[in-house]
Formats: sequence, structure tokens, C-alpha cells
Amino acid sequence: MKKPGLMILTLVLVILALSVVKIFISNNVSTSGVVLGKIQEELDKYKFENSIISEKLYVAASLTNVSKEAHDAGFIDSKSDLVLNKQIPVAIKQ
Amino acid sequence: MTWRYRFVFIGIVFCFLLVVARLFYWQVVKAKELSALGQAQYGTNLKILPQRGEIKTSDGFPIAGNKITYLVFANPKEIKNKGEVSGILASILDLDIASVSAQVNLDRFWVPIRSGVGSEIKQKLEGLNLLGIGFNKQYERFYPESSMAAQLLGFVGKDDSGSDKGYFGIEGYYDRLLRGKEGLAVQVHDAFGRPILAKMNHASGAVDGQSLILSIDRSIQFLVEKKLKEGIEQYGATSGMVAVMEPKTGKILAMVSFPAFDPREYQNYDDSLYKNPFISDLYEPGSTFKPLVMSSALDAKVVTPETKCNICEGPVSVSGYEIHTWNNKYFKDINMIETIQHSDNTGMVFTAQKLGLDRMLSYLGRFGIGNDTGIDLQGEVSASLKPKNQWYAVDLATTGFGQGISVTPIEILNGISTIANEGKRMEPHVVEAVENLDGTVVKIPPKLIDTPINSQTAKIMTEIMINAVNKGEASWARPKGYRIAGKTGTASIPIQGHYDPNQTIASFVGFAPADNPKFTMLVIYNRPTTSIYGAETAAPTFFKIAKSILEYYGIPPEGE
Repeated sequence: MKKPGLMILTLVLVILALSVVKIFISNNVSTSGVVLGKIQEELDKYKFENSIISEKLYVAASLTNVSKEAHDAGFIDSKSDLVLNKQIPVAIKQ
Repeated sequence: MTWRYRFVFIGIVFCFLLVVARLFYWQVVKAKELSALGQAQYGTNLKILPQRGEIKTSDGFPIAGNKITYLVFANPKEIKNKGEVSGILASILDLDIASVSAQVNLDRFWVPIRSGVGSEIKQKLEGLNLLGIGFNKQYERFYPESSMAAQLLGFVGKDDSGSDKGYFGIEGYYDRLLRGKEGLAVQVHDAFGRPILAKMNHASGAVDGQSLILSIDRSIQFLVEKKLKEGIEQYGATSGMVAVMEPKTGKILAMVSFPAFDPREYQNYDDSLYKNPFISDLYEPGSTFKPLVMSSALDAKVVTPETKCNICEGPVSVSGYEIHTWNNKYFKDINMIETIQHSDNTGMVFTAQKLGLDRMLSYLGRFGIGNDTGIDLQGEVSASLKPKNQWYAVDLATTGFGQGISVTPIEILNGISTIANEGKRMEPHVVEAVENLDGTVVKIPPKLIDTPINSQTAKIMTEIMINAVNKGEASWARPKGYRIAGKTGTASIPIQGHYDPNQTIASFVGFAPADNPKFTMLVIYNRPTTSIYGAETAAPTFFKIAKSILEYYGIPPEGE
């Protein structure tokens, strides 16, 4: 007659303990959604800024723009080339 | 008494079965319909649009990317002063006030005002804190190099359901890869139908598109476009096109044609400009076709470079037609090297007749003439060669010098690239690799299609073409110190059953450096007016571009 009583008591204690743990964890986790939301917002904000900066960077780095800027700065096409065909020897045997 | 119990029992069982049957009907047979009704009541399905994949040149620069824009929408139920808000929106968004007012006065919870709004205007509107005005993020195609390679790229329009879809060029050919997969989310409503702010379900199946890395060299593309524009103006041509290909791999390094369109505003251009004439327009190639016929004859050993033409001392008569040279100059006993050098039509008639129809058709087929090259662009066409029993003697003769046969420029470029690549014909392609969402790159290997001629024949033909450049009609324009193989072309245009003597398609095709070709190029001017000849229009443009490309690759001249 003692054994069933002991078992029931153990069960009740376990249930109580688990409930306390659950309350504790739920309490801690409950605010993490807000934190996650803030992190997501920051992420979206940086992604957006990256996108805007990338757009400006690509336009600035485009050959169309570089060519225009070079033209405005006074650069012109090279007209003559200097080519050194033959390699001068490092040492000549006498 | 027993029968009463049985009667009642059967009655209860019967009623129970009726209920079960009715439940089965509503929960199984009508399940889908009721679920949809419930969904509609509970919320509406919203499409989550994926980001379209980028198209990058070989240096990783996005020639077609995405920029964030916004769809400005309004909730008319929340707007108190509709007139004032309509005025502000119309002014900032550059819209007609009447149309904005009509939208804002609708009895709905959500109405679109304008799409494609830039971030600066969005921030300006946000700063005004207008009640009932919101923004949905969208992606719009963005071209940092403006209209560079417009016909090669194609453009992004809409399909029947309003989703983005690529048309023409790379956007059309690789649309499925680029567009990604739309996702679905449920927008929850309350009992009054008002939307409730809820986190979108990210596990909704939306997948961004994959990006493409092209073989296009941005610098070469830029300089080719510049030189072609200058050339069209200089020679008074109706239109022009150039393509540069790497013969060993089939990679397209540049491809351009003018007039073109701006893919950002494609709807403002005539739709005849959307197609890429380099792969979609058929023309009679003229003398640029001669190297293909000559190399076929050399490979078949029906002629050697020293074989003398015994019918070339004057015009050649074939089935009642008289075939002349382009300048009415004739050379008795001209050999095959000089035939190409002087671009002698009578010499080519001799060669074609020596080759014969069977071998001609076989070799042309192996060079890819009359078939799609397989280039990965939407809109390629080809004109099949006539069946053998429909060829006449005069057809064989004229095909020998590139008239009476219709090809696309890409077929000619691919054919000449075959000679440059020691007789091996590669499949041309524009996309070099596919970039997955995780950043890994999957390369597309070059594809060998056929070997119509052997390497020895290819070398001989290369020397013949070098000789044509050095001693032919275009020799005045060539850059000194480089061995360049090439051939001029001045093709008559067939108009209403005859050839117009005053209008031509002037072209030049060649490759350099001839001993280890880094590129093959074809330049075409349509109806140049300053001169009808390829040697005086397309050839100088070819040599200017070729010199620039050789310098770009750091290949010095070897000396004369």
C-alpha cells in the first residue's frame, strides 16, 4: 500500500518541477521574439542600404560612366604605340 | 415485445448511418471546397515575388541587375481628406490627379497607386506621414551600362498573369533559370475584412532566381559598340552589326547591332528592334562564304592551292546565266590562292564545280550552314539548304561565291571560327557559368560539334586568308606587324527577283593572331552609302577593332 502512494507522490513532484521549468523557460523565451524582430529589421535595413550603395557603385564603375568622366577630364584615345620587339640580352659572350 | 426492440434498434442504427454519410459528404467529398471558402474568409493568398537572377559579364559586373522599387498603395478606408492626399500623391508621383482620385475614392481596403517608385520618392512620401498610404517592396530590372548589349540581353516584361517574364536574347532563353519561384503567403483578415498584421510564413516556397555569368568581355563589348557606332555614321549605313567569338571555345566575347533599343524603356521602341539580327536575320553572305567552299574543296582534295582555274579568263556561263567577277577583271590560269586574294567569282565557280553538289552539301552541313548553331539566345533562325533534287547547276555555281544562299551572320562567324580552330566547330555560347544562390558557380563546358575539315586543311586555308589580307583589296587598312586572316564580302541584295547593283551588304570576317587565334570577328554594314564595298567599309572597322583587341590582350606586333 505504501508503494502506490510513493509513486503518486513522485509523479506529482515531477509534474510540479517540470511545470516550474516550463514557466521559467517560457518566461525567458517570450521576449526573444522582440529581439529577433529587431535583428530582422536591422538586417532588412542593411540589405536595403547595401542595395542602394551597390546601385550607385555599379553606375559609377560602368564603362559608360568612366568613359564619359574620362572624356570630360580631357583624356583622348592613344594614337601611337611603342613596341619593343627584340629583347636586349643580359650579357654578350665576347 | 422483441420485435419492438429490434425495430427501434434498426431505426437508431439507420439514423446513425445517415449522419455518418452526411459527415462523410461534408468532410471528405466537399473538403477542398469548404477549405477554400474558409481560406477566403480567413485570409487572401499573396504572391511573394522572388528576386530575378542577375546577368553578369565575364568580370563579374552585373550588366542586368535588380534595384529596389516600391509599389505605392492606399487604404481608402483610412484616408480622411481624400482630395488633399490625391493632390499630394499626384504631384510627387507625377500622375494625373483624376486617376489618383478615382483610385483613392474606391470602396476598398487596398488600391494600387503607382509601381516602380524609387527609394528617394518613397522616403519623401514617408516623411509626409500620410495616413492610409503604404509601400510594397518590388524589384525592377536595372542596367548599369545603360543600353549596352541590349539585343543580346533582351528585356523583362510581363506575362498574362502579370509576373515578370524575359523576352528575347538571354532574358528570354534563360527565363526559367532567372525568374526563380514565386512563393505564397496568407494575409489574415478579421471579421470585417480588415487585414491583420501578421508575420509572413517564410516557408512558402519563394526561391530567388539564379544568376548567369556571361562570356562577354565588357571592355571588348564597349569598344566594339563605340567603333560600330562610329562606322555606321562614317559610312552612312542603314544598320550594322559585329560579333567577336573565341574560336577555341565558342565563347562569344562581344555582340552588338545598331539600331538597338533601351531595355529600360523597351515599350517605347518599335518591336522590330527587339530581335537580334546577328542570329535572327538571314542574308546572302557573298564573298565571306568563299573560305568555307574553298576549304571544303581543299579538304576533299579536289583542288590544291596551286590548282589553276581553266575557265577564268572571262565571264563564266552556267545554264544560260553569265557570271562575272565583282570588278570585271579576269585572270587566266588563276590559282586558288589568288582566287581568294582577288575574290574571283569565276574561280569560285570552278571550285564549286570541282567539289560537286554532294560534297558541297555535305561539307556545308558539317560547317553548320542551314542549321541553328545552338547559341543560347532566344530567336535564332536558320534557312535549311534545299533538298538535293532542287539544286540546279547555276545554284551550285552561285553558292560557290556566297550568293543564292541564305544564312545568318552567326553561321558565317561559326564557320570561319572552325577554320581558325584547326577545323573543329564549337557550339557558340554566351553564358559561361551559372551562379547558384549559395554562391557556387557551375561552369558550362565548351562543346565540340563537328570537325568538317582536318587541321592541315585549316592551316592551308588560314595562310590563303592571310595572303588575302596582305595582298587583297583591304590590305591598305590592315594594322602592320600582325598576321591576320580574313576575307572581305560585298553581297548584292536581292530585291523583287533581281539584285540591286547600288545596294549591298558589306562585310569582313577574319581572325587574329592567325597562328594562335584569340578571336574571330564578323563586321557587317547594311547598305553603306559612302562605298558599297566591304574592303572600304567593313574591313577598316574590322582592323580598327582587331588592333584594339590585340592591344587589350597585350599581343605585340611581330614585325613585317
